[in-house]
Amino acid sequence: MVTLVVVDDHPIWRDAIGRDLAEAGHRVLAGVGDGRRALTAIRQLRPDVAILDLQLPDRSGVDVLRELDDCPTKILVLSASGESEDVLEAVKAGARGYLLKSAGTAELLDAVERVAAGDAVFTPGLAGMVLGEYRRLANADEKHPVLSERETEVLRLVAKGLSYKDIAARLFLSHRTVQNHVQRTLNKLQLHNRAQLVRYAIEHGIDED
Amino acid sequence: MGIETQLRQAITVFRFTALGYPLVMWGLFLDDLVRPVPALLLVAVMAAWTLFISGFYATRGFRPPALYADLATSVIAVAASTWALELDDRSVPVSVGPLLAGPVLVWAVVGGRRRGVIAGCAVAAAGMLFRGGPTENTFSEAILFIITGLMVGHFTRLGVEAEHRLREAAARDAAGLERERLARDIHDSVLQILALVQRRGDDLGGEAAELGRLAGRQEQALRALITSEYYRHPFDGQRDVRELIGRHACDAVTIAAPATPVRLPSQAAHELAAAVTSALDNVREHCPEDTRVWLLVEDQGDQVTVTVRDDGPGIPVGRLAEAAAGGRLGVARSIEGRIQELGGEATITSIAGQGTEIELRVPRQGGGGGDDGDTRGRR
Repeated sequence: MVTLVVVDDHPIWRDAIGRDLAEAGHRVLAGVGDGRRALTAIRQLRPDVAILDLQLPDRSGVDVLRELDDCPTKILVLSASGESEDVLEAVKAGARGYLLKSAGTAELLDAVERVAAGDAVFTPGLAGMVLGEYRRLANADEKHPVLSERETEVLRLVAKGLSYKDIAARLFLSHRTVQNHVQRTLNKLQLHNRAQLVRYAIEHGIDED
Repeated sequence: MGIETQLRQAITVFRFTALGYPLVMWGLFLDDLVRPVPALLLVAVMAAWTLFISGFYATRGFRPPALYADLATSVIAVAASTWALELDDRSVPVSVGPLLAGPVLVWAVVGGRRRGVIAGCAVAAAGMLFRGGPTENTFSEAILFIITGLMVGHFTRLGVEAEHRLREAAARDAAGLERERLARDIHDSVLQILALVQRRGDDLGGEAAELGRLAGRQEQALRALITSEYYRHPFDGQRDVRELIGRHACDAVTIAAPATPVRLPSQAAHELAAAVTSALDNVREHCPEDTRVWLLVEDQGDQVTVTVRDDGPGIPVGRLAEAAAGGRLGVARSIEGRIQELGGEATITSIAGQGTEIELRVPRQGGGGGDDGDTRGRR
């Protein structure tokens, strides 16, 4: 059983997701509709997983993610916005997974369980953006994170729509190893993002408070 | 305030300043003037005229009768000056001076180069006619008037065009912002509802599932439309490969691409997109209906790679070679041909039972992706 908080400004959506999760035996601790309440609910209830919409009325989902940086709750982004830059920003800010709202119930339940277990949930679209981000950083930032050859290979296969099982079979790896590779690509990006924020804070003298 | 208004105001300032010239001349040559009182009267009349015509232009615009009257007044002033400003010891009377450039400037601002030159010629001709023929003095004056008409006319035209372009650009920017705002709103509401209908439909099954599928298809179409609007920014002859390929997104086709534009020269981008379309057509033609396709767009700096992978039955070993030998080179020829023309290469790998993968690699010519890195700004 996984404990959850669902953050979405559309009540019908919240109810629909909540019902599906409850039917599958999970416990939805709260459903909230804006960023401020989301922060309070997640900090106080400490759910295993929070499902977060990126478009909230009072602040962006990315901002919520940034503020929850030190919180142990794992965040799964569920967005209608397609795979654009805000999704990449969300992942860099610490989201552990990402799904489109058009994903089916089975896909959502699977994603929740995997995120709760500590895995990174990738769509092919997200893998393509993460690959692109590593290449962009290689040109734009001296201290850019580097993907190993194996990680690049795995990420490309994810982006080409192969399941972890197919990837494991193709590369003669265990399912677990594939998962670890995918997760490391995400961790490095998040770590780099955090280091960048710290560097920025120090350079601009706002590290004292 | 438009450029024409600003120029009109500048000319008014010039005309009043230029009135100082005959006044100063009157003071300097007071002793030598044959008729000092009519001379002062002429200056007074010119001042009154300048006041009147400037006011007229400001309130009622540059009307043609006013323009002709303005020019005629200058010509008359030249004629009158030969009598009113005559000197006892000199053959050439004192000139009314730069004041005469007033109507030339106005004509040039209103009518451009040609009208400016015509007005310049008229004033210059009057000078030559009434003030002792083509002497060194009248000749240099004539050239100055004509050049004034020509240059002011030319620059006014340039200024008006620049102003026009600036206004167009501002309107385009505003339209772009409005479109983005609309797109955000649609993201927020319509897409969510469509996705919800799809989801509930799936759960309910039966006819509702069919409705759900329809809603899902609309959601995808709408999202593709919005994103293509987002990315519709031509970068000096370059196209964003993501935009061209993004049109294929649907239930069966998933697209993965970087979050930043992947630019190629327009021609190359279109050829690459056409090769992708052939590959997709090929899947549709030879694979079962529920075959899914994944498109991966990658920007490697010196080259752009697009991979088309399907989970169809795959091409049996030797089938492509067999087709080539039999002269049936549909896919391979049209895809490879297009890519090779761009200096790139296409590789087709297929394992029976595991689908087909076509990798299209197109090099960036000249400077190998110079627009990578920091110039590749985020939207």
